[in-house]
Amino acid sequence: MSAESKKVLYGLYNDEEELKSAVKTARQRHLDIMDVFTPFPVHGLDPILGLKESRLHILGFIYGAIGALFGFLFMSWALAKDWPILFGGKPYWPVPSFIPITFEMTVLFSAWGMTLTFYTICGMWPGVKAKILDNRISDDKFCIAFDVTEAGQREVSDFKEFFHRTGAAEVHEKAL
Amino acid sequence: MNLNTQFVFESKLKRNLIIGMIVGALCLAWSAIGDDAFYTRFWTNYLHNAVFFTGIAFTAMFFLSGQITAFAGWMVVIKRLWEAMSQFMLVGIVLLLVVVIGVWGHLHHLYHWNTPGITDPSSSIYDKVIAGKAGFLNPVFFTIGTVGFLAIWYFWAYKLRQNSLAQDAHETPSFDYYKRERKWAASFLPLGGFLSTVFLWQLIMSIDTHWYSTMFAWYSTISLFLGGLALFIVLILYLQSKGYLEYVTREHLHDLGKYLFGISVFWTYLWFDQFMLIWYGNIGEETIYFRERMDNYPILFWGNLVLNFVVPFFVLMRNDTKRKVGTLFFAALLVFLGHWLDFFYMIKPGARIAAIEAMELSEGGHHSSLPSNAKDLSQTAPNVGEMPRALAGISAAKAPEQSEQGSEAHPQTMEKMPATGSSSPEHQEASQDNSVHTEHASAAGEHGHHEEAGRGFQLGYSLPGFQEIGVLIGFLSLFLFFFFRQLERAPLLPLRDPFLEESLHHTTGVYIDGEDSHH
Repeated sequence: MSAESKKVLYGLYNDEEELKSAVKTARQRHLDIMDVFTPFPVHGLDPILGLKESRLHILGFIYGAIGALFGFLFMSWALAKDWPILFGGKPYWPVPSFIPITFEMTVLFSAWGMTLTFYTICGMWPGVKAKILDNRISDDKFCIAFDVTEAGQREVSDFKEFFHRTGAAEVHEKAL
Repeated sequence: MNLNTQFVFESKLKRNLIIGMIVGALCLAWSAIGDDAFYTRFWTNYLHNAVFFTGIAFTAMFFLSGQITAFAGWMVVIKRLWEAMSQFMLVGIVLLLVVVIGVWGHLHHLYHWNTPGITDPSSSIYDKVIAGKAGFLNPVFFTIGTVGFLAIWYFWAYKLRQNSLAQDAHETPSFDYYKRERKWAASFLPLGGFLSTVFLWQLIMSIDTHWYSTMFAWYSTISLFLGGLALFIVLILYLQSKGYLEYVTREHLHDLGKYLFGISVFWTYLWFDQFMLIWYGNIGEETIYFRERMDNYPILFWGNLVLNFVVPFFVLMRNDTKRKVGTLFFAALLVFLGHWLDFFYMIKPGARIAAIEAMELSEGGHHSSLPSNAKDLSQTAPNVGEMPRALAGISAAKAPEQSEQGSEAHPQTMEKMPATGSSSPEHQEASQDNSVHTEHASAAGEHGHHEEAGRGFQLGYSLPGFQEIGVLIGFLSLFLFFFFRQLERAPLLPLRDPFLEESLHHTTGVYIDGEDSHH
């Protein structure tokens, strides 16, 4: 796979404020950031990075609606049409007693649907080897990464100069 | 940004609110005209609004206490509004005192358990079920459980407010006041949580004296809570439109919107739970509550769900609708009206039935004098006109066996609820069927027949009429008048609060495309 031969240049920062101002600088200079890694969610980073609002929740609503319909219609078909059974003197189509299960199906479908969609988008499948730039990005370091697979000497030195000027504590290069 | 804002209660606003109060008083008086002998419409209107607005004040205090106990910092910029709302409990004591005096003086027939002689085994109107509840449902306990509890709550609210105001005068930000505030807030939570159940059982659930629901206190408290929260959001947006609270950002509104959205879903859960348990159990004594409301008040019954679940659920589901003034205001206003209607729906049907039954009882054996197709209670006014307001003198006129039938009428006239809405037309057909009537007649001495006939659509009971809306305006004006007076007495921002900076920089971490940068 092509992803395996990717070369990444990354800088580590000690503080999220340093990271935020570095990202701002990079955007101003039109440096193409591959990704940013932080040990915790940094409020206000998304707009600085220019990320679009996630559309995952729209899918979540659709999955939920499918789950609600599926649960309700299946119960109606099974208990009222295919094999009508009387429960506790209730009619064959006892709508109120379907509601809790319909609710559960809504939650189930939207949760599973969103999780699986998220995994698919991120390429996370069973057996996929985690590509970790640096172990400390899940501890106390804030990282900006550039893809330098096809970058020339001049671009790489531009990136390095950028890291130096924005106060990165360390700069490394790694093949993923 | 100017942080030292002082609210000014303008004379124009004051005048408008006073006009609103006068309108309310006139409408309250108007609802007594052409009323039945017990002035049921007048008293239910009064009780409905008094409980609703007092309850809003209580839930404001409860919510604030919960926030303080949970070390919440985000809400400091809007804390003063909650404090001001909670002080309305003082007015609530006076408002509910009128209801309590009515109970002692038998001025109204809101509460069936308050009928003289109803718990006396030798009396002709003896009711065994009510007698069994007399230890709880009696005037003494009613007084303690309403005005008494309210006085306790108000004391706590007063102390919390005083402490918060004292903090303003303090030189440096200090945790001393905060710690004291936490003590008042944390101790209020069990007091408010446990006592509010009794408060609402006494004031509202006991209208349907024979009926009870273990979900009721939850359901009605959450309804009050949402009414209060919605009004709170509307008031913030109003004050912002007047140039106040400029430091209340989208982030604060977003969190309030989340509360409104999430708790509306919780309300729906309770609404459905109460219905589901009773529907599944299918016990006549319990199903009568929903039977009555689904058949005779379908607009209220389903409208309640639309306003309080469908609207907030679909309007406030997205992030951006909670952050835009327009959608948030729209949803909050509808939810406020929705929960006002929810209380209308809890109070009116039960009180009306109690009044009809009491009037039938007071006519002695002359059941047939009621027009069988009476849609309008006022048609019975000529019969009822000379009747004593309280039922004190009527018991002697009644024959023992009739009264026995009267008290036994409940279980027999109760039909099982239809399991779905689709079978309710069947029920209506069935009740028009003569054979069913003969059964009723033989079983309950025609009592059930008239009950059902007298319970059709009537403005003021099935739906709010002009008077009801006028009374709402009146009580809302009273509430707002008091609220603004309280707001005027202190700076809008508690400048010495240790969490002030956190609140001013509060963020939900949500980023919406196309939204301009934060304050």
